[in-house]
Amino acid sequence: EKFLESVEGNQNYPLLLLTLLEKSQDNVIRVCAAVTFKNYIKRNWRIVEDEPNKISDADRTAIKANIVNLMLSSPEQIQKQLSDAISIIGREDFPQKWPDLLTEMVTRFRSGDFHIINGVLRTAHSLFKRYRHEFKSNELWTEIKLVLDTFALPLTELFKATIELCQTHGNDINALKVLFSSLTLISKLFYSLNFQDLPEFFEDNMETWMTNFHSLLTLDNKLLQTDDEEEAGLLELLKSQICDNAALYAQKYDEEFQPYLPRFVTAIWNLLVSTGQEVKYDLLVSNAIQFLASVCERPHYKHLFEDHNTLTSICEKVIVPNMEFRSADEEAFEDNSEEYIRRDLEGSDIDTRRRAACDLVRGLCKFFEGPVTAIFSGYVNSMLAEYAKNPGQNWKHKDAAIYLVTSLASKAQTQKHGITQANELVNLTEFFVNHILPDLKSCNVNEFPVLKADAIKYVMIFRSQLPKEQLLQAVPLLMAHLQAESTVEHTYAAHALERLFTMRGPNNVILITSAELAPFTEQLLTNLFKALTLPGSAENEYIMKAIMRSFSLLQEAIVPYIPILIGQLTHKLLLVSKNPSKPHFNHYLFESLCLSVRITCKANPTTVSSFEEALFPVFTEILQNDVQEFLPYVFQVMSLLLEIHSSSIPASYMALFPHLLQPALWERTGNIPPLVRLLQAYLEKGGASIAASAADKIPGLLGVFQKLIASKANDHQGFYLLNSIIENMPPESITQYRKQIFILLFQRLQSSKTTKFIKSFLVFVNLYCVKYGAIALQEIFDSIQPKMFGMVLEKIIIPEVQKVSGTVEKKICAVGITKILTECPAMMDTEYTKLWTPLLQALIGLFELPEDDSIPDDEHFIDIEDTPGYQTAFSQLAFAGRKEHDPIGDAVGNPKILLAQSLHKLSTACPGR
Amino acid sequence: MPTKNVVDERIAKFKNKGKDLAKLREKRISACVQLRKAQKNESFLKRRNITLSSFPDEEALSPENKDTVSFRIEDIIKNVNSDDREAQTRGSQAARKLLSKSHDPPIKEIIDAGLLSRFVSFLSMDNEPTLQFEAAWALTNIASGTSWHTQQVVEHGAVTAFINLLASPMLHISEQAVWALGNIAGDGAAYRDVLIECNVIPALLARISPDTPVGYLRNLTWTLSNLCRNKNPCPPLSAVQQMLPSLIQLLHLGDKDILSDACWAISYLSDGSNDRIDVVVRTGIVPRLVELMNNKELCVMTPALRSIGNIVSGSDLHTQMAIDAGVLDVLPKLLRHPKPTMQKEAAWALSNIAAGPCKQIQQLITCSLLPPLVEVLRNGDFKTQKEAVWAVTNFTSGGTVEQVVHLVQSGALEAIINLLLVKDAKVILVILEAVNNMFMAAEKLGETEKLSLLIEELGGLERIEMLQNHSNEMVYQAAHNLIEKYFSDGDLEEV
Repeated sequence: EKFLESVEGNQNYPLLLLTLLEKSQDNVIRVCAAVTFKNYIKRNWRIVEDEPNKISDADRTAIKANIVNLMLSSPEQIQKQLSDAISIIGREDFPQKWPDLLTEMVTRFRSGDFHIINGVLRTAHSLFKRYRHEFKSNELWTEIKLVLDTFALPLTELFKATIELCQTHGNDINALKVLFSSLTLISKLFYSLNFQDLPEFFEDNMETWMTNFHSLLTLDNKLLQTDDEEEAGLLELLKSQICDNAALYAQKYDEEFQPYLPRFVTAIWNLLVSTGQEVKYDLLVSNAIQFLASVCERPHYKHLFEDHNTLTSICEKVIVPNMEFRSADEEAFEDNSEEYIRRDLEGSDIDTRRRAACDLVRGLCKFFEGPVTAIFSGYVNSMLAEYAKNPGQNWKHKDAAIYLVTSLASKAQTQKHGITQANELVNLTEFFVNHILPDLKSCNVNEFPVLKADAIKYVMIFRSQLPKEQLLQAVPLLMAHLQAESTVEHTYAAHALERLFTMRGPNNVILITSAELAPFTEQLLTNLFKALTLPGSAENEYIMKAIMRSFSLLQEAIVPYIPILIGQLTHKLLLVSKNPSKPHFNHYLFESLCLSVRITCKANPTTVSSFEEALFPVFTEILQNDVQEFLPYVFQVMSLLLEIHSSSIPASYMALFPHLLQPALWERTGNIPPLVRLLQAYLEKGGASIAASAADKIPGLLGVFQKLIASKANDHQGFYLLNSIIENMPPESITQYRKQIFILLFQRLQSSKTTKFIKSFLVFVNLYCVKYGAIALQEIFDSIQPKMFGMVLEKIIIPEVQKVSGTVEKKICAVGITKILTECPAMMDTEYTKLWTPLLQALIGLFELPEDDSIPDDEHFIDIEDTPGYQTAFSQLAFAGRKEHDPIGDAVGNPKILLAQSLHKLSTACPGR
Repeated sequence: MPTKNVVDERIAKFKNKGKDLAKLREKRISACVQLRKAQKNESFLKRRNITLSSFPDEEALSPENKDTVSFRIEDIIKNVNSDDREAQTRGSQAARKLLSKSHDPPIKEIIDAGLLSRFVSFLSMDNEPTLQFEAAWALTNIASGTSWHTQQVVEHGAVTAFINLLASPMLHISEQAVWALGNIAGDGAAYRDVLIECNVIPALLARISPDTPVGYLRNLTWTLSNLCRNKNPCPPLSAVQQMLPSLIQLLHLGDKDILSDACWAISYLSDGSNDRIDVVVRTGIVPRLVELMNNKELCVMTPALRSIGNIVSGSDLHTQMAIDAGVLDVLPKLLRHPKPTMQKEAAWALSNIAAGPCKQIQQLITCSLLPPLVEVLRNGDFKTQKEAVWAVTNFTSGGTVEQVVHLVQSGALEAIINLLLVKDAKVILVILEAVNNMFMAAEKLGETEKLSLLIEELGGLERIEMLQNHSNEMVYQAAHNLIEKYFSDGDLEEV
């Protein structure tokens, strides 16, 4: 293979491949040749600007001249590959550079050989399907027009001929199979060609197409019915495509399609009534229902549905049957809980039958809410009655009843609040008390797990609609269900608890308080942690999230349990760090760790050491094994721990310090923000001790700064670090490096000046001024190059300071500039004096004018990705959050007052100026 | 951000391309390739004469030849080519009658028979009015055929002959010339300009007087409208200036056909660059056009609405003139018109007004345009919905925060979210841009979270999530950006 690739640049190579696949006796070799050829075309056919043409023109012409023939005369396996190759070539060359392709294809329609015809149709489909998603353009429409001119009429003739053949060969199963795949392909081509706009040809021939589509929809042929329960058969595929075609016309060409629409509604409805429950019909049924759903919402078709008998029979024959819990659902519930939850809870049920039925209910409710609700109430009651007669046998009826109530009642829903608007005609609380609560209260949590899951889901999604006392009543019941064997059931219980704990009542206060949970605290924590030991739920993200949420809600109430819980959490961490596979689970695990630390240490900071004792062994292991997914988390937890320490850095941390400066760690973008934060914590707690005992590490620290500052994406992180150094390190420890720091900043300023960099630079310069004084600032600039200070003032500070954002950042700049204005003799006596007034104006602008958030045009694209806070690779922990830090703090309360006082002082010192 | 990335042929039509996205005005796209059938309600390019208004009753004119005329082509050729006036007349009349039959007239045969040069020569025979007339009629109908047919008529020198014939004292002959010239002008920009070069306009305008019969005026107006028609290039400015005063006069008459064609003429003249619109607007016709949008006849409303639609696609000043003339009081009615094409044109006009400065947007609110806008978004046909979506997007990119809030509250957000299921990638992209604009407004109010929740409640989140699987790269990107930016911090809510 390598060899083949190395010779593929030679002229004639592709033709040799084609010869091989045509002439070889060995079928394996022929298929290999076809695959290799297709891949070769895929890699090389496109001519990229500024790159050499990888296929000689002679080869290109020869390929195009032969490939269609070759494809059509090949067996199906090879035909597929070549058809793909043709569509890749077609994408580049059609129509201009391959003008005879279409006519060549169309002539084959007359061959009468449906093996060949299907090859042509398949190729055409792959060429035309892009018309379904591309934007209108003159180029595209010129192409479509050309295609229509040569293709539309022969396609129509072929369509009619194929249908006739289906009648003459009605008893020949093999012929029918081929013919029906042709019809499906023709219907797909119809969809593509009619997608952008209604072509004149198809408008003129609508009668032919629609009459035939309609009769195909109503057609049934015993021979074409398949035994397979899962895989859709030819008949289903064709009918589904026809539903799509009808839906396209109904949506886009309503005016022209109107005469046909009622017929289609009836046909599709009959189709639904007569189609079975098997999985193979799912796509067809869901397409068909979606068609009805989109039509019944339109005011001018309202009359097709409004008759009471019509509505009743839609409800009875279309909606209710498709809401029933099927054996396939039951299998998923038991054996594939993840998939089941994703569909049922997270809304990836777009093309399920239940979902389609639900959408139809909503569509009908637009005009007929009253009657539909009344009809369904009858069904709900009778289904519940069926259940009551024999729960063991009829539990599925209750499941359908709950689903029906849910789809009828919910009008608007969010993840955060559940259902936010409900159908007022449905009494949700009454249904809860009579039909949901009994299941929740049932002492055997393992009986009828589907109904239990339904009941839990009911509480969860209607949480905003149910009164608080009902929810409080449900909480302990939900806790009990955490112990259910069914994965779906205990997952739902965890999820429901987690959602209830985030609810807010009037005035935006937490709805369920820690005090109200007090009687259940122990049971809650125990059951949650026990649930993690149930089979299949060792890394269940819903349970872990519920743990996090419970900690956050219970606050101090968890402190007594922490010694045990922290052991369980670290044990879990140790296990998952061997092979991190569930990112969400891991995230909530770390969040829970952070919460344990914060809550416990808030009450008693000295307990931090016990956490360190428990966590450091695991952390060490993670660091040593370089578990990449976990490093950013570990750095954040360590920062949190270190920040709790009141004074100096413990020795255990100092030992780690040199390792944190290793370049390899800084190569990974996800590490950068948490590592910078950790280093900041080091500097804050131990700037002095680093200077004293690890002065040899300062160049390494500055090396990190240098690396960060060079990157447009990370320069702000470099400034965070630099600012911490300036703020916390003893001045003398960095004296020797200061000039070099400024030179690096100037180099970056010259090589690529971005708004983000300027903003950070301004904050740094002013912090330096606040920290070391205005004179020191002026001197260091002027020591790099005479007059430099004036240039910086004139070209950067004065024009750009308006762009600085953030309260603390603005304050630093205000204080810094005040100092330059009032504490820097050079501003009074040298040629810098002329900048004094503009600088004061800039300062006043900073105080009074709105922030300048304009960005130069050429920066728009880099800036989006480089904005601080936008970090995809960095998994930020909410509960490890750092408090906003103000390096000036209380020293200056209000910078405006400082300015007034300083100016006063200055004018007293230099009167009359 | 999707806003900055929407680059396409439609945006390229907007007057302030790339400079100021807040002002998105769209010019009518007419040079575009079309897949659809030509618009059914446009006025005719060319017409064949079956009967003529000022033509005296046919029976009265030639009662005797009813049964003496032979319709065989050979006889016609013989007669037309003979030297006998009477035979010539008989032959010409037979040809004319053949050409006037409603189905499949033998135009090609007559041309192939070499009769055109004879017919043209008959045109100048002022002393033989009957022959002159029959020849003119025959040529009119030949010129009503395909471009090639028209070309044959022109190349046989019919243009000057017809223009001379305009001055004929016989009204029906002059009218026939008007008609023939209309067919030639309707062929396209090239022949239109040939006619203008030959001074057809003064000759036509000279026939307008208070005594001109209505039927004649109808034909004349139609011919004028064809002289205004077609782009690439537009008719010369001097010609436009010559015609406008008379067109304005015609627009004040009461006959619906005259009004219709005069409006069509104005709609052609205003379908162009801003300086063309300016020429039209300067005549002071805008208030009358707005009044005609209210006319009870569809054939008048349609071109009046088109003209106003063109005018509001001009500069802010042009738009303001239409607003001052009361267009906003008429549009709601048109947005609710039973005919989808009217709704579509009205929505298009609205989308261009919404592309104006926020002062004009405010007038949309004040004049209660939002309820009908939301109605067409909900229930209009697809073409109308598409224009209405543009109106929303333009509104959201140029409106103030308060105006955008007002729009959202009027139900526009819900309506455009429902349209995210539409089978048209461009419409989807335009909706996503509107949503993004709404978020930018929400950002200024610090209410992005509220908007996110509202969109989720309306089912929008699910749809936008689904669009991340869309095959169109730009739709995918726009959906993805919205999700990333406004819908992905679900878990950090309560720190």
